[in-house]
Amino acid sequence: MPTVKEKLSSFHVLILIYMTQTGVVIISLGQMLAQTFGLNGWLALPAYCIAVTVNLLLIGLIYRMGQGKSIFEIMEQRLPKALLAPLYLALTAVWSMLACLVAIEYVFIFQMIAFPTTNPVWFKLVIDLLAMLLCVKGVYTMSKASTVFFYLTVWMYPFSCLLFHEFSWKRMTPFFFHEGDFSPMGMTGIYTAFLGFELVMLLFGYVERSAKLMKMAIWANLLVFASYMYICLLVFGFFGFGELQHMQFPLIDMFAFVKFPFIERIENMLYGLLLFTMLSTMSMYYWSASEASGRLFTRVKPEYRGLALVAGTFFVGLIPDTLADVNVWLTWLGIAEICISFGLPLFLLALLMIRKEKGKTAHA
Amino acid sequence: MRNFSSRYMRLPLLLIFAGSLLLGGCGDQRILEQVGLIQTTSYDLLPNGELKIAVAIPRVEAESNQEREVLRTSAPTSKQARIQMSRQTSLQLVSGQLRVTLLGKSFVQAGIGDHLDTQTRDPAISPLMKIAVVNGDAEQLLNQRYSQHPRTDLYIERLLGKESDSHSIPKATLYEFVRDYYDDGIDPVAPMIRRAGENIVIDGIALFKDDRYVGRIPEKDAMIFACLHGGFKQGELGIRLRKKEKSTEAVVLTSLVSSRSIKVTGAGDKMKVAIDMHLNATVSEYIGGDLKLGKPRDLKKLEQKISAYMAAQAELLVKKLQQAGADSIGIGSYVRNHMGYPAWKKTNWGERYPRIEVHCKVKTRINNVGKMK
Repeated sequence: MPTVKEKLSSFHVLILIYMTQTGVVIISLGQMLAQTFGLNGWLALPAYCIAVTVNLLLIGLIYRMGQGKSIFEIMEQRLPKALLAPLYLALTAVWSMLACLVAIEYVFIFQMIAFPTTNPVWFKLVIDLLAMLLCVKGVYTMSKASTVFFYLTVWMYPFSCLLFHEFSWKRMTPFFFHEGDFSPMGMTGIYTAFLGFELVMLLFGYVERSAKLMKMAIWANLLVFASYMYICLLVFGFFGFGELQHMQFPLIDMFAFVKFPFIERIENMLYGLLLFTMLSTMSMYYWSASEASGRLFTRVKPEYRGLALVAGTFFVGLIPDTLADVNVWLTWLGIAEICISFGLPLFLLALLMIRKEKGKTAHA
Repeated sequence: MRNFSSRYMRLPLLLIFAGSLLLGGCGDQRILEQVGLIQTTSYDLLPNGELKIAVAIPRVEAESNQEREVLRTSAPTSKQARIQMSRQTSLQLVSGQLRVTLLGKSFVQAGIGDHLDTQTRDPAISPLMKIAVVNGDAEQLLNQRYSQHPRTDLYIERLLGKESDSHSIPKATLYEFVRDYYDDGIDPVAPMIRRAGENIVIDGIALFKDDRYVGRIPEKDAMIFACLHGGFKQGELGIRLRKKEKSTEAVVLTSLVSSRSIKVTGAGDKMKVAIDMHLNATVSEYIGGDLKLGKPRDLKKLEQKISAYMAAQAELLVKKLQQAGADSIGIGSYVRNHMGYPAWKKTNWGERYPRIEVHCKVKTRINNVGKMK
């Protein structure tokens, strides 16, 4: 385990996980719920919250059984490293590509809104550099940065009260879950909005013993759930189901409605601020990929690993050149990540239950 | 040594970062003097099925002696028209400042669904853009100069803004229009304007059934429509209560605050809709009547008279809307919410709406009658 001088406090864990979970998906979540679950589809969100909580409890079990040891230690003390190498490679690939694609999605939407003819590669390059500078600093600095980003973005929630006068319960209708397509891909897409919580597995050993890591992770997830519920409820009552089905980014359109005597079209500013939540998610995924790859390439310094991951995924990320392509890639990587979020803890649980630590076996 | 390597690595990264940030600004330049900020656009339908489109652009350069530029063309779609119009001007046309869209009567009569799709798809266009129907040719109205008023596009925008603030016309922005268009329980509305000599006047409210113009409410009924359409907090209403031989009993209500509720009862053919309206107002003028407004009993009588008059007018207006087939006040959404989902889906609301029984009830409360008794 790497030596860490500073450890994360409860509050930092809460904010870090919240910011990792909150991503650009929030701008289209209302539409995704309308399309997948139909009328009042926002009421499907509690089911997602429960699924994530179950997943977190499973991770919590690993934390307790492993006595706070890092997941890599748990694995390496029970299995030979050569056997774990493909798993580490897979984790590195999925996490680094997720980080890259989250940024590409953001860049493509940003380009569509603000700079339609500028080459998106420029924006991607700048964001990648920011993410890299952040992730090589380690999780403690990232959590500090995420706390600052949290304060920069959280004001959007009270600000949305300016939209209440156009909200209508009547528009919501008293019907539930009619006219949805209930497609597995749609359901998976909505679950990806919650992803990021599973990276709590990598924080074992980085937190103070009093920080109650899993409790904070569950609270962070509840915070994400509450924010998604609020935004989606607002979006359903603001636009109505009929229009919502036809929109791509209802949250942006909703904030475009706000106008002050001195400024209008503030949705552009709002979208600019979403860069910070995206940056938190992105840097956490790059950091996780760097941690996983670090088990294989122990001699390579974290700075160079981070640089290699960002540079490598940057070039792979040039392949999907439309927003639709990026969404397809993100969906598949999201599915892979959901498998990791459930599969990895189950695998660790099996290891903890079946195999004893190498050292202990030797002494036995 | 570690510090040195870390610094050695960080410096080029920071340089690349700063370089990218600065060079990024070189793309997608928008130099104000070279940009044609479209502020108003108009659509008319030509007999050959093409669209006649005009745009008004303010000129900001010091060299220009014109305060605005109006471009017009005809094309099958609005975006094609924009490409054609950009050939007529030295400016780069952009829609980010589009404030008003004027829709000619010929255009709205044919249905505007595809046009709405174009407007909402364009991320540059604000959902706060105002929509107005022109009773006549929209391009001619926009092209005309009105000497005693500000620049035509500005004049129209301010007129629409002021009138919707006082609820003489419904607030019709792109957001509201599209939202009601997609909602299956309400039809959109838009203010109607026309040219009247050297002025532009509000000509009532244009009614739509889905995306098609189906009729108009005259401007004199606009306030009653506003009461039916939803609650509001600031309005003025002039009422002719009774016509006598030589004079007319009339009252003017100001500081009007209105709230409305709609209740649906019964099912099937026995379904009834009750619209309850509550008005709170100040009497600023009362002429031609026998009532002494200083006496509480007379004031009560006046409230009853106003209530009866408003209820009768509201019912007439609802009948008119039903005849036109335009569910502009959103009765459908209340009926939908009253029914179960299967029953609503089986109902052909467009067919049912004109036949449904609607009753209006008004309760008026006069807060004060001014300084005189």
